[in-house]
Amino acid sequence: MKRDVHEQVREWIASAGAAGLTDSQPSWVQAHVQDCESCRNYAEAAGQLIRCLRSAPLAADLSLVRTTQMRVRLHAQQLRQKQERLWLICASCALVGLMAATTTPLLWRGFQWMGEWARVSSPVWQVGFALFWIAPALAASVLLLARGTYLTNNGRWQG
Amino acid sequence: MNAAACYFLNGMESETSAIARGLRRRDPDLLDRLIEQYQHRLLRFLVYLTGDRQLAQDLFQETWIRVLERGNQYDPKHEFSTWLFTIARNLSIDYLRKKRPASLDELLGEENHSPELPVDNRPSALEVATQHEQAERISAALVCIPAEYREAVVLRFQEGMTLEEIGAVTGAPVGTVKSRLYRGLNALMPLLKGALG
Repeated sequence: MKRDVHEQVREWIASAGAAGLTDSQPSWVQAHVQDCESCRNYAEAAGQLIRCLRSAPLAADLSLVRTTQMRVRLHAQQLRQKQERLWLICASCALVGLMAATTTPLLWRGFQWMGEWARVSSPVWQVGFALFWIAPALAASVLLLARGTYLTNNGRWQG
Repeated sequence: MNAAACYFLNGMESETSAIARGLRRRDPDLLDRLIEQYQHRLLRFLVYLTGDRQLAQDLFQETWIRVLERGNQYDPKHEFSTWLFTIARNLSIDYLRKKRPASLDELLGEENHSPELPVDNRPSALEVATQHEQAERISAALVCIPAEYREAVVLRFQEGMTLEEIGAVTGAPVGTVKSRLYRGLNALMPLLKGALG
């Protein structure tokens, strides 16, 4: 029980820091510290240790600050550019989607009319329509893949 | 709450709100100002946490990059420094886990036991030498105690954070923070016996 009180007082002193070694400490701590020599010594030692810790000077170099500021600015610029590109891609996708939604029915009717005019069976002109419809996306994918392969081979995406 | 406290809290909240707005905009001028404002505190925390100045400088830069990237996650209800130190701490832990999957102390190789040569602006050569020696001794002592005690001690006695703020940074309850401070000081006392008083 006695040991618990010492521990409690010391833990209070340790967590309060230098501020705790003044009049601001609670009365039960003050009373105990006045009566108990070992806790008084602990409080003094803790106070000295905390002052010692606070006295340690350590500063950042100006070059580190400048380099960090430059890196942060550069990264902010890259993020902004990335965001702009992303916005452009989103806008393009939305536009393409809208165009596809409006033109697909017209294209379907066009193929149907051509199929009837050429007297071919429905599956034939439907396959033709599907190929025509998917051709731009296929071409874009092939181009993007080729570009990616080219950039990888030239080491531009490395590191 | 009295008027002065109210005024202080409102002032603090408006400042943190301004920081939050700037971070969402990724305002480079604000970031420049914050880097300058927190340069010494953040570097000191990282140096004492990792025990390696070079690594601390790398993590210092990474911390600000992370602040830039995740600025929209900052909650202006809390102090900016608490959020900043949390990011720095998490980055350090991530790095050290990748490097060596154990405690932060394992980062220190045999060659790294004197981790820090502090910058000192005192005019007297004797004072400079004494302070260097003192700071070196403190750094060496700090890296000898367990990492969770070290971060609590550094945040409390060097950064002047409250127990609640330390709890927010480390993710530990206030009771645990108190216990870590107590154990940390107890561990440091014999190590710094010669440097005291």
